[in-house]
Amino acid sequence: MSRQAGRGTESKKMYWYLPFISPSASMHLMNSELFTLTYGALVTQLCKDYENDEDVNKQLDKMGYNIGVRLIEDFLARSNVGRCHDFRETADVIAKIAFKMYLGITPSITNWSPGGDEFSLILENNPLVDFVELPDNHSTLIYSNLLCGVLRGALEMVQMAVDVKFVQDTLKGDSVTEIRMKFIRRIEDNLPAGEE
Amino acid sequence: MSRPPGRKQDSQKISRELFVLTYGALVAQLCKDYEKDEDVNTCLDRMGYAIGIRLIDDFLARSSVKRCRSYSETADMIAQVAFKMYLGVTPSVSCSSAAGNEFSLILDKNPLVDFVEELPAERASLCYCNLLCGVIRGALEMVHLAAEVTFLQDRLKGDAVTEIGITFLRKAEDRKHRRNK
Repeated sequence: MSRQAGRGTESKKMYWYLPFISPSASMHLMNSELFTLTYGALVTQLCKDYENDEDVNKQLDKMGYNIGVRLIEDFLARSNVGRCHDFRETADVIAKIAFKMYLGITPSITNWSPGGDEFSLILENNPLVDFVELPDNHSTLIYSNLLCGVLRGALEMVQMAVDVKFVQDTLKGDSVTEIRMKFIRRIEDNLPAGEE
Repeated sequence: MSRPPGRKQDSQKISRELFVLTYGALVAQLCKDYEKDEDVNTCLDRMGYAIGIRLIDDFLARSSVKRCRSYSETADMIAQVAFKMYLGVTPSVSCSSAAGNEFSLILDKNPLVDFVEELPAERASLCYCNLLCGVIRGALEMVHLAAEVTFLQDRLKGDAVTEIGITFLRKAEDRKHRRNK
C-alpha cells in the first residue's frame, strides 16, 4: 500500500488511501473550487453517518489529524522552512506559508496571550465554506473542523502539542472566522500515539 | 447545505496535497460505510455528479469559453481547460469511435492517486477516482450534453495509464444535437 518516509513510524497504522511524499515534489497547483466542493461532500457524508454534530466535529478533527501527520512532510519538503525557534515563528509559518500554500489564503495573526503561548488566526475568507450555508438543524456543526485536526497533527510531528479550535465562524454569523491555537507542551517522544 | 456559487474574486491557486489527502479521507469514509466496492463506486459517482452540476457554473464563469460546436471541441475543453484548472494536469485526448462521439482522456499522472501505490486486496474493484466521472457527467448535463463517463483503465489496478472514457449520447428525439457533430 502506501509507503511512509522513515521517521519512526512503526507505531502508526498504515492508511493505504493516504499519500506518502512524492519524490518529485514540484508545483502541484489547482484552483480551489473542486476541493471546496469535495470537502462539502465529505462533511455531508459524515452528517449522514453520525446523528449529532458533536460526533461529526470529532470525526472531522480525527480525519484532519491523520491528514496533518502526513501533510507536514509535504510541507517541509516543499516549503524549505527551517526549524522555528519559538511559537511566534511557528505562527508566521502557519499563516503565511502553510495556509497560503494549501488554501490560498493568508490569515492574520492576532490576540497573542501575554505568555506568548496562544494566538488567533483570523480568516476573512475561508475557501472551504465558499458555497455553504449551514442548515438550521446543524447549528453546532464546526464545518471546517478538519483544519483544526490538520494543524494539530502536523504540529505534533514537529514535536509540538497544541490545542486548536474555532472560536468564531462566519457560517454561524460571525464577521470573521477565528481559529485559536494554544501551545501546550513540547513533545520529546518521537513516536506519537497516533489515532485510529 | 450548499448554495449556487456566485461570482467572486479570482480564485487563488492552491497546492493540491491537502485536497488529495481530503479526497482520500472521503474514499476511506465511504469504504467504512459500504461493504461492497460497487456501492462505494456508485456513491463516489453520485457525489461527483452533485459537484459537477455546481462546478460547471464556476468553470463557465472563469474560463469564458464559448459554446463548443462539436463533441471533439468539448472533449478538448475538458482535458485542456477544465482538468488543468481544477486538477493541474492536462490529459491527452483521443477520439475512439468512427461516429465521433466517444473519446478517451489519458492521464499519465492522476493527481488523486499521486501517492497511492495500490488498492488493498479486499478493495480490488474500487474505482478510487470515480468522483471524477460523476463530476464530468454532471457538468456536461448542465450544458445539455448527456454522456456516459467511466474509467476504462486504471493505474491503481495495474494498467499502464489511467484512461477515462466519455461517450456522448445523442438523444434520438432531440434533433438539435446534430449541430454538435
